Amino acid sequence: MTMKMKMKLKNVFMLYFLVSICGLMYALTQLGQPCDCTLHSRQSSDLVHSRDRTISRLQGELKRLQARGNPEGPPKPALPTIYTVTPTYTRLVQKAELTRLSQTLLHVPSLHWVVVEDSPVKTSLVSELLKRSGLPYTHLCTQTPKDFKLQEGDPNWLKPRGVEQRNLALQWLRENRGPSDEGVVYFADDDNTYSLRLFEEMRFTKRVSVWPVGLVGGVRFERPLVERGKVTGFYTAWKPNRPFPMDMAGFAVSLPLLLANPAARFHLSAQRGNLESSLLQTLVSIEELEPRASNCTKVLVWHTRTEKPKMKQEDALILQGLGSDPSIEV
Amino acid sequence: MPRRRSVLTTLLIVLPWTILLTIWHQNPATRYLTILRKETYENSSAKSLQFLINVTKIKEEQHTACTHQQEVTPAQQTARRYVYSRPPGWSRWLPTIYVITPTYTRPVQKAELTRLANTFLHVPNLHWIVVEDLPRRTNLVDSLLERSGLNFTHLNVESPKSVRIGLAKDSSHTPRGTLQRNLGLRWLRENLILSDSLEGVVYFADDDNTYSLELFEEMRSTQKVSVWPVAFVGGLRYEAPKVNTAGKVVGWKTVFDPNRPFAIDMAGFAINVRLVLKRPWANFQLSGVKGGYQETSLLKELVTIAELEPKAANCTKVLVWHTRTEKPTLVNEGRQGFTDLKVEV
Repeated sequence: MTMKMKMKLKNVFMLYFLVSICGLMYALTQLGQPCDCTLHSRQSSDLVHSRDRTISRLQGELKRLQARGNPEGPPKPALPTIYTVTPTYTRLVQKAELTRLSQTLLHVPSLHWVVVEDSPVKTSLVSELLKRSGLPYTHLCTQTPKDFKLQEGDPNWLKPRGVEQRNLALQWLRENRGPSDEGVVYFADDDNTYSLRLFEEMRFTKRVSVWPVGLVGGVRFERPLVERGKVTGFYTAWKPNRPFPMDMAGFAVSLPLLLANPAARFHLSAQRGNLESSLLQTLVSIEELEPRASNCTKVLVWHTRTEKPKMKQEDALILQGLGSDPSIEV
Repeated sequence: MPRRRSVLTTLLIVLPWTILLTIWHQNPATRYLTILRKETYENSSAKSLQFLINVTKIKEEQHTACTHQQEVTPAQQTARRYVYSRPPGWSRWLPTIYVITPTYTRPVQKAELTRLANTFLHVPNLHWIVVEDLPRRTNLVDSLLERSGLNFTHLNVESPKSVRIGLAKDSSHTPRGTLQRNLGLRWLRENLILSDSLEGVVYFADDDNTYSLELFEEMRSTQKVSVWPVAFVGGLRYEAPKVNTAGKVVGWKTVFDPNRPFAIDMAGFAINVRLVLKRPWANFQLSGVKGGYQETSLLKELVTIAELEPKAANCTKVLVWHTRTEKPTLVNEGRQGFTDLKVEV
């Protein structure tokens, strides 16, 4: 009996040893494969022996990675276009603001930037910036009527800003887009901060979608109140009795809805804080609003404002006739 | 006798497995299987920038599987789909730009870092070193950096209270951000190995400034220290180095104390990383620094004015703006706080 068991055990052991030897052989053959080390040494010898090749490759690489211009091929027809309407006006920080806004927008697929200057003519600063930005864009301009223009020293809330410019953008959309065009319109001021996720939240808007806005209305954030997936009210501390107590950056309107309402526009006569309502009242009711950003619980856009840079020394120099070179664009 | 035999048999059983295990660990090919290995030094994680961007799925929460840069051979840099023709590719040939950004907690912090990240995503071979002014790193910054898709290092060091709140108008106190920038330099010195083939540039980027993409390409070729104009500093439209016809920096076009050894803003210069490593004693001076001399306190240890390299078309183009963001008036929060503190802003 024990002899038989011993024999069986011996067989098991033999089998085990055979299997493990085979496995080891296999692993050893795997080692023979080219590994990183040899590749590294080859690369370093390449670097050592061909500096010129490296430099030209550097330049080529730079060109490749920097290739600006149109995106690779036409945008996918499946994605609705986001028409970002940005009113802007000439002031010291304008180029900086538009530069960093364009850097954000450049990450968003199927986006069309509509920039409207508060100016009688299109400035070369904005024209050049748009050309170099790499974005599909439309450049418009219209001047705010004198009575409604903020004077030096006026607080920024005294008169509604960007009204005529946004209306001109709406008009352009009505003239250049048809009922078959899918898309959504977003009013993006040039000094706010936008996260990339925001644009994906708004892309598939059926009528009007809404979300929270950070750092606005004197509070950390304002947001629509959502119950069971429907907007039931608004969480805001400032003038909460407005028809739509939210900021311009807190909603997006679907293009078909805008085209279906050719009279919908922002009103210059709107009271302070009612600019958004002046448009939305004619388009949608509160129940029809579509809440985004996880039922309006995430802040994806911030109402940042940029300080006016201090020009004390510049002003002093200008008085002496020694102002900085105006041909250098800032 | 039977005891010796059993010992022998157990040994023979275990032997192949130990050999296999030792070979397994040493084989570099198996490292491909360890994904998302995090370095433990101060929780810094450097991720390779090679990730697939799907056109329809640009969501910031998307965690992409990254492997360490050293292990990916050129042959494996396979299909990358780009959203636009500006991929944040990681190239083996471009010098890395190490951007050191000190930051501190305030309402606009997340917004500032978000738009800065949006800018940096366009720059190839950029490594972002973010240093928080706190005793502990915050989740806000940590998750923002993770989701951004950039190569980053997250550090923190707390400034003395008087500096942090900005009460230190006295010149003998440390200007804000100094400790944090020095920590960034220290991290570079501890994590990079000085060699002739080490390529890279160090840039101090505050979180509220605005940077054009052209700026980063201008600074990439820095041999020692390069300089360029900065807008909205010193009470002027822009401050710039004075460049003579031979292309050398000879002075400073500023109104505020133009006789400083280096009358330039923090955003107006970049240093070659080899120089930083070669001079480990070169740091921003912590105390006893007059207003406007902070940059000098570092640069005087590194270069002379004659060695400066002017960029941006001999310092005639403005590629960086010293913008400042207004402090939001949170008057309606009241004493109790109006908004839900659980919502991150």
